[in-house]
Amino acid sequence: MERRIYAGNRRYMQVVDMDWFIPIGAAIAFGLGALGAGIAMARIGSAGAGTVAERPETFGYMLIFLAIPETIAILGFVIAAMILVMI
Amino acid sequence: MLQRMVKVQVIGPAKDLHRIVDTLYTAGTIHLEDYSKEISVGDAILNKIEVGESDTLSGLISKIEGIQLIFPKTPSDTGKQKELMQSLRAEGHEAILNRASDALSNLEVKTKTLITRKSDLEFTIANLTRYQGVIEKILPIESQIPALERFEITIILIEREFEHALPVIRDALMDITNNQCELISAAVDEKSIATVAIFSRKYSEQVHSFIYTQNVNELRLPAQYMGRPLAEVLRLNAEKKKEAMLEARSIDEELTEISSAWHDELTVLRQLLADRFEELKEYNKFARTDYTFIVLGWIPKKYLPRTRELLQKEYGEAVIINELLETPDSMDEAPTFYDSHEFIKPFEYLVRLITSPKYNEVDPAPLLAIFFPIFFGLIVGDIGYGLVILSFALIMKKKFPEIDWLKPLMNLMIIAAFPTIIFGYIFGEFFGDFGEQMGWLHPMEIMGVTWHRIDAMVPMLVLAIAIGFFHVLLGLFIGIVNQRTKMQCTKYLCECRKHICEKVGMIVVIISILILLGAATQILPGVVLYPGILMMVIALALIIYGGGFIASLEVISMVGNILSYARIMAIGTASVILALVANELGGTMEVALVGVLVASIIHLLNIGLKMFIGSLHSFRLHIVEFSPKFMEGGGKIYKPFGRRDQR
Repeated sequence: MERRIYAGNRRYMQVVDMDWFIPIGAAIAFGLGALGAGIAMARIGSAGAGTVAERPETFGYMLIFLAIPETIAILGFVIAAMILVMI
Repeated sequence: MLQRMVKVQVIGPAKDLHRIVDTLYTAGTIHLEDYSKEISVGDAILNKIEVGESDTLSGLISKIEGIQLIFPKTPSDTGKQKELMQSLRAEGHEAILNRASDALSNLEVKTKTLITRKSDLEFTIANLTRYQGVIEKILPIESQIPALERFEITIILIEREFEHALPVIRDALMDITNNQCELISAAVDEKSIATVAIFSRKYSEQVHSFIYTQNVNELRLPAQYMGRPLAEVLRLNAEKKKEAMLEARSIDEELTEISSAWHDELTVLRQLLADRFEELKEYNKFARTDYTFIVLGWIPKKYLPRTRELLQKEYGEAVIINELLETPDSMDEAPTFYDSHEFIKPFEYLVRLITSPKYNEVDPAPLLAIFFPIFFGLIVGDIGYGLVILSFALIMKKKFPEIDWLKPLMNLMIIAAFPTIIFGYIFGEFFGDFGEQMGWLHPMEIMGVTWHRIDAMVPMLVLAIAIGFFHVLLGLFIGIVNQRTKMQCTKYLCECRKHICEKVGMIVVIISILILLGAATQILPGVVLYPGILMMVIALALIIYGGGFIASLEVISMVGNILSYARIMAIGTASVILALVANELGGTMEVALVGVLVASIIHLLNIGLKMFIGSLHSFRLHIVEFSPKFMEGGGKIYKPFGRRDQR
């Protein structure tokens, strides 16, 4: 499989050979992370909306709580990027 | 910057209580504490203060608010209001109360009569409109209605979804009237049908009673419409409606006239009465003896001379401000008053969205003011985006100065736009790679790394995690400082010692992890491996001593916190990629103008997204990863006893 990488000004999309399982691994790392974050955010979001409706002063907390599970997706992205760049 | 607070008792003669409290209220410097809590049941010396005026005030405020609610919207004359407010304040509370009572006696009956008449007219207009709609619809079927004497006509309105009930009603009416009944239907609109029922007058009572009991909507035309042709009814109806509308309009005009004459005075009176009401609400916090009263509270040290001078000037030696002895235990309950620099205020606003620091704690707002713009800059990092954010924030601030919450947020964006531009220059980004493609700028090379965010993904990750290490360590150091301050309070001594041990342990663990990683990757000589392990063991012992076995699991969460800073690199990379997509997509368009348009739309979307996500994640890193290392929060905010406009 070929890998397309960015390589600076007007040089991007260089094509490099890559084993097929590398992008699959990267996709799993990011995909599952994002899926997990999505499920968590959906639950936090619905509970948060209810809480803010009852107590508007908790809006700040809710915004932060909502951003907490994104860490999983972000770490998934980092791992995926490292798989693609470093392996 | 945190202001030093002084706990004070204001003691004065009970006969001048109202005047002295008024002076304190005007000074607006004292944060009141509830002294009445210290009065035990059956106390022979100290008593609570009861004020009966509050009920009168709340009654007057409600009446004024009620009248203002009736008035049409009238523009305020701020100059006139200011002048009136000053003159009324100078006249005193008695004069304000009298003026408010006079105004109400002038307006109450008049506005009540007008609004009652207006409500009646509105009801009449609504009914006439309804009759008009129905009559217009049944006008074409008038010819089918037999003009018989001793017969009565009534109109029934039925919703379309209950159309199937019509045959049932017909059968029932036939039964009641011995088949002396006829029903003719016509559609009024999409939702309802009008049915004209003609029946013998001798069954009138039974028919109306049946319609009423079946909960069918009967349209009863006024008595004067009875027996007239529908066309005439329609004309009469239109005339009546016109008359009612004219009268309603004249009432509106009269109300507008009254409102423009009284609006400013009522607004000022309402504000003054509300101020007085707020003032009186606090009286139950005071205590009194037969001849004196006592007010307990906190005054910022820098305002103390001013307050003392004011009381001295007005009452001489009759009123004293007694400074209470400052002990660590008493200062633990002091309210927090940060009189920050304008630059820090927007960050203070953010911190307060979550919690307020305690009096003895280090203020997180200045730290947020340093790190928030840096994180935001690293995430967005684009000269073009920085300039757009700066312009957007300046425009929004100028366009909507009246929105309270917008100002600090836009100030935040203005401050964050500058590091965005600086990091944009370092990363060589101007609307993604547009600047680079045009040959205007290139990523800078620092420490042997060309800081192009896609080429240098790994160095960016290392940088983000290094920032995380530093930030978390700083949080732990400040945590130790906070615990040392809190330790001066004897009741917290033992608890704080343990917390300090735990935080020191955490710092040592982080450093030992770094050493072990360095030794494992051979960046550091292998000889440091053993001191590293020893440090780790000592650190774990300190953590377990400080917070128990469970606290040792916190080490894992600490590592997670540090790794969480990888989001700076991850979100930043996502931002660059979207910018590249914008430029690439724009470049593929054959018509240059369309290409520019497509690229601009995607860039704008990216800017909007990054403004929100960049702020949220920069803030989150402080609130979730950084602040809990040192801040307990839940502090009492300094709320001076004074008019709201003075606070």
